[in-house]
Amino acid sequence: MENKKQSGSLNRRDLLKVITAAPAAAMVVPGLAGESAVAAQESGGGYQPKFFNTHEYQTVTVLSDWIIPADEHSGSATQAGVPEFMDDWLNAEEAGGGPPRHHRRVSATMGTEALGSLTWIDMECNRLHGNDFVDCSRDQQKQILDRIAYPGKAAPEDVNAAAAFSRVRDLVLGGYFSSKMGIEYLPYLGNHYVEQWNGCPEPDLERLGVSYSEDWRNWKSTDD
Amino acid sequence: MPQVIRSPKVYDAVIVGSGAGGGMAAYVLTKAGAKCLMLEAGDWYDTAKESTMMQWPYQVPHRGAFDRKKPNGYFDPGYGGWRLPGEPYTNAPGSNWMWWRTRALGGRTNHWGRISLRMGPYDFKPFTRDGHGFDWPISYEDLAPYYDKTEELIGVFGTAEGLENTPDGKFMPPPRPRCYELMIQKACRKLGIPCIPSRLSIITQSINGRPHCHYCGQCGRSCATSSNFSSPTVLIPPAMATGNLEVRCNAMGREVIVGHDGLAQAVSYIDKKTRKENQVRAKIVVLAASTCETARILLNSKSPTHPNGLGNSSGYVGKYLMDTVGADGSDGFFPAMVDMPPHNEDGVGGMHLYMPWWNYQRQLRHELPFSRGFHIEFGGGRSGMPDVGDFFGSDRMLGGGYGVGLKRGVKKMWGAFVGFSCRGEMIPNEQSYCEIDKDLVDEWGIPVLKFHYHFTDEEIQMVKYARETFREIILTAGGQPLENYGPGDNWGIAQGGAIIHEVGACRMGADRSTSVLNANCQAWDCKNLFITDGAPFVSNADKNPTLSIMALAWRTSEYAADQVRKRNV
Repeated sequence: MENKKQSGSLNRRDLLKVITAAPAAAMVVPGLAGESAVAAQESGGGYQPKFFNTHEYQTVTVLSDWIIPADEHSGSATQAGVPEFMDDWLNAEEAGGGPPRHHRRVSATMGTEALGSLTWIDMECNRLHGNDFVDCSRDQQKQILDRIAYPGKAAPEDVNAAAAFSRVRDLVLGGYFSSKMGIEYLPYLGNHYVEQWNGCPEPDLERLGVSYSEDWRNWKSTDD
Repeated sequence: MPQVIRSPKVYDAVIVGSGAGGGMAAYVLTKAGAKCLMLEAGDWYDTAKESTMMQWPYQVPHRGAFDRKKPNGYFDPGYGGWRLPGEPYTNAPGSNWMWWRTRALGGRTNHWGRISLRMGPYDFKPFTRDGHGFDWPISYEDLAPYYDKTEELIGVFGTAEGLENTPDGKFMPPPRPRCYELMIQKACRKLGIPCIPSRLSIITQSINGRPHCHYCGQCGRSCATSSNFSSPTVLIPPAMATGNLEVRCNAMGREVIVGHDGLAQAVSYIDKKTRKENQVRAKIVVLAASTCETARILLNSKSPTHPNGLGNSSGYVGKYLMDTVGADGSDGFFPAMVDMPPHNEDGVGGMHLYMPWWNYQRQLRHELPFSRGFHIEFGGGRSGMPDVGDFFGSDRMLGGGYGVGLKRGVKKMWGAFVGFSCRGEMIPNEQSYCEIDKDLVDEWGIPVLKFHYHFTDEEIQMVKYARETFREIILTAGGQPLENYGPGDNWGIAQGGAIIHEVGACRMGADRSTSVLNANCQAWDCKNLFITDGAPFVSNADKNPTLSIMALAWRTSEYAADQVRKRNV
């Protein structure tokens, strides 16, 4: 809860000018949440994938919405621009822009694993149904997903495919929850100017069974 | 046309480095009336303009990942990293040191954690206390007045607690703990582990024209309003305001040029834009290029009077290199934190509480298999902007899945984790040092460093104990420990250099045959040479070095100015 009380010593207008000024380096990137993603979908897609080929990108789009569909609370992965995010991110990883910060299993890129997952999924769908994943029925798609979506329960012949699909899931979740839509859905309420920090609100204190009444500032005062 | 550019101008002081130590030397010396030239190997960094504070991941390329110049990503001003193109280093067989360089005005002070802890009395005399390591030639009492002045200048929050070997400072009021911090503090009370307000150089009250913190949690991005400490926002501006400071960027320090009398005459640097050598003359030289870089400059400063490098008649330049003993990634999942009523949990960009070392007496009685201490840092909950990587590996907690159930599961679990880290004291050992690699130069033609670095059982046992302690805290607080480090990976001890707290390599001492500097951080062999970064350190306590670097730099610079006034140097 933000307390908008103004401190006399601050020049609030100048302060906000600094804080809210958009630095020169920030720029609008393709695949922003919401409007542009929806518009791209409606217009038949203005985004040109750089990492995935057209078919792979189509598969990723379908998979993304299986992983994160829309519901009454928030939109789907495609509505949040996840396929564009994935393509751009993996393209940057591929271009060697530096080691991915969060992918510590250094010998494999996530791009490799994502492509492996897509290739396996199409292979299985063709073996079973004579079609690529995107051309299978919803039920057929679900059957494939159910085999590889639960790493701990995958059949022995499916364990690698489950591991690879987990990386696709990682990318979809990472892209969704760092998008504007995803951040608002969590919700993450920070990254703002806060005049006064009040700590933990009452309902959260109650939930955790803690309070500020025990003197958090003075360790020695709690000695018996 | 001469290749070397030599200006006839003689500065009172040339300061190599613009970070904590260089910035503080500039602050003190310019205010003492000295005309100073500061050399910085990186580019100018304008905090107010370039800070990425309050930008969103979806507003920037690749959600902030994969910045070519900044290995920690777009948001973090860590220009450089452990692998800096064109500036290599090597490791001896069996060593695995990682050497961080920040090439920007202000260096690491732009992106550091702002953890500002005083060393305690024990930390200056560890050998006297337990027979390991070496004593400093100064005591806590010698540095206390400089800790006072430094904290009053930069602004540090905290509380007076009177805990053993954890000196209280000149503090501003701390911010209230976050929800999960109160929960962990409660568990620590049960375990007898002190859990007190942290001590961070983030101002909760406005000082010196700097507005107080606005709790956006983005300190690590550097602060556009100067509400946390960095050299370019707190030290360099007042130094420049004296009219006595000139700053030159993209100046890669190469060596100190020495006269026939063996005294420092000039600093040679390579201009990164032109690749030409320049030499700037000064009455005194202050090295603050960061620990290893300073050692490197000295080792590369060979002359007839200093055949093994400047200041190195003892052979101790490069020796007894230490990084902090670190262990990260001890995460706990806390069911009680699932589905908490949402609120802005950012606070400052760092922990509001921490745990200082508490086992001093047990160690005196030899009850633990290691001799020194660590402090505990922790963080989690919903503090900090969601990042792409935060959602990787969700199958570990949720078992996998897809669909609305997955989406809701991630939402539910988000913010229900707290992670713990230790930062502990490494005992200096003879096997850990840096030297010049005779087979390699960097792109500026400067011979590079070769590292030798080893932990001993002391450090491994400390990390084992830390992991056990984290598990205890997590379980006591009602959580599930998630990590599984063991002896096979040395309990996940961080690689040397990974914590980026390297000190030593040009240590102070009372005996010139076993040290590089005297008790005033003045080179035994060259009285107009001073060092004001982490290189003079004799031990690397479980207190992050930056505050001590600044206090020591203040003391050294006052002494240097005094010596110049008295015409002793």
